[in-house]
Amino acid sequence: MAATEAPRLRAAAGTTAAWGASLGHTPSILAAAMALPGIAVAPAAHAEGKPEGASVSLRTLAYQDSQPGLRRIRAISPTFQVVTPLMDEDWWLNGAIEADSVSGATPRYHTAVSGASRMTERRTAGDVKVTRYLERLSLAGGLAGSTERDYKSIAGSFDLRWASDDQNTELSVSLGGSSDAINPVNEIVVDAKRTTQQLALGITKVASRTDVLQATLSYSASSGYHNDPYKVLDERPRQRRQTVMMLRWNHHFADGGSTLRSSYRATQDNWSVQSHTLGFEWVAPVSASVKLVPALRAYTQTAADFYAEASYDPTLGEPFPVGYDRNNPPRYISLDQRLSSFGALAFGLGFVWDADREWTFDGKAEVYEQRGRWAWDGNGSTGLAPFRAYSVQIGLTRRF
Amino acid sequence: MTPRGATRAAGVLAFALLLGGCAGPGGPAAWDKSFIAKPEMSMGWNALGTRADQQIYESKEAASGGYGVGGGGCGCN
Repeated sequence: MAATEAPRLRAAAGTTAAWGASLGHTPSILAAAMALPGIAVAPAAHAEGKPEGASVSLRTLAYQDSQPGLRRIRAISPTFQVVTPLMDEDWWLNGAIEADSVSGATPRYHTAVSGASRMTERRTAGDVKVTRYLERLSLAGGLAGSTERDYKSIAGSFDLRWASDDQNTELSVSLGGSSDAINPVNEIVVDAKRTTQQLALGITKVASRTDVLQATLSYSASSGYHNDPYKVLDERPRQRRQTVMMLRWNHHFADGGSTLRSSYRATQDNWSVQSHTLGFEWVAPVSASVKLVPALRAYTQTAADFYAEASYDPTLGEPFPVGYDRNNPPRYISLDQRLSSFGALAFGLGFVWDADREWTFDGKAEVYEQRGRWAWDGNGSTGLAPFRAYSVQIGLTRRF
Repeated sequence: MTPRGATRAAGVLAFALLLGGCAGPGGPAAWDKSFIAKPEMSMGWNALGTRADQQIYESKEAASGGYGVGGGGCGCN
């Protein structure tokens, strides 16, 4: 991250990933693998199947967000990924590298346009994962790293997956950890640290000839510096513990040949943030080689218990919240919009074009908007401008 | 239902699914998985696209995770 002219965006909203950022999760590659139509060889219930072959993929994401009166952050993020066997077909490597260019402006508190800080940043990130496939078992180890001018992170992970005899059930255990070093350009802190540990348990089940279900329960605990050093009045707890429950259901409509991919995620943390996310993707074939993928996502979250609403003290003025005591400030406080209570909707339209046996092209355009009054419990934060983001992704994959 | 109530209900559902998945045989026979074998039926389908989507959401929202472990942090969140 790193700012050029002044402070800048960032916000310890989550513990992993982020704009320009992320890597939140070491992905498996287009696990489009296991795709032999009509085969009698049973694919496991896999969340992540053994790749069908080597491939390279290139994807570019273009992003722009805004609020009324302020174009905020724009980003270009190309990613290059390789999937290849090592030694033999039981060892596979999945590696990716990403280079983000991020620039624009972001409010220093709430959605205040005046005094918004401007920034330009470059980020480079990479991850590698090696997987060993056995008859009913797979073991994987991964490393990930990310570097920006003022933020460096290194992470490791380990996955164990086990499939039942009939390949209709897969259990997984995943462990992960990361260590971050933060050196904001305003030197409000120097070499601040944050460490995170993660544990996830999952089960994937082939429930019928047209249904695959998955449930994942994960827990993460992070310790250290969580503040956003580029926002005013931002002091967050040094501990964050989050539980995430994810349910996914893929259903294939045998008649029309389309597939509905549904998901529900619930999260809860010790900052009093609770969230719910519903996601739907409809993979609809329009020809033998082209599929359209309309997508809908609905999200809501409650505010962190130390988030201060955009209502300012009449004596002190902005950005000081009502009742703020300069001589006895609250232990924790944040005016970050991302920790407020809101609801969000995203609509997307994607396509997948399997040009031939070797080449696949895909893309997606999406519009995303969040508003306080869209909070599902009706208690959304007030006084914040609506936030909107547009994104376009274009990708290609070459199989070998 | 309050958010906390919904979270608990979802937790119970997940637990039930876990138990059911571990307990029952169920599921189609090996010769009856042509639909299951379609790439879009895999949870890992379009992983790069999912990764890009999550970048966007997680940088603008307080919640994150659920798609795996092992990612590093960054300065945007």
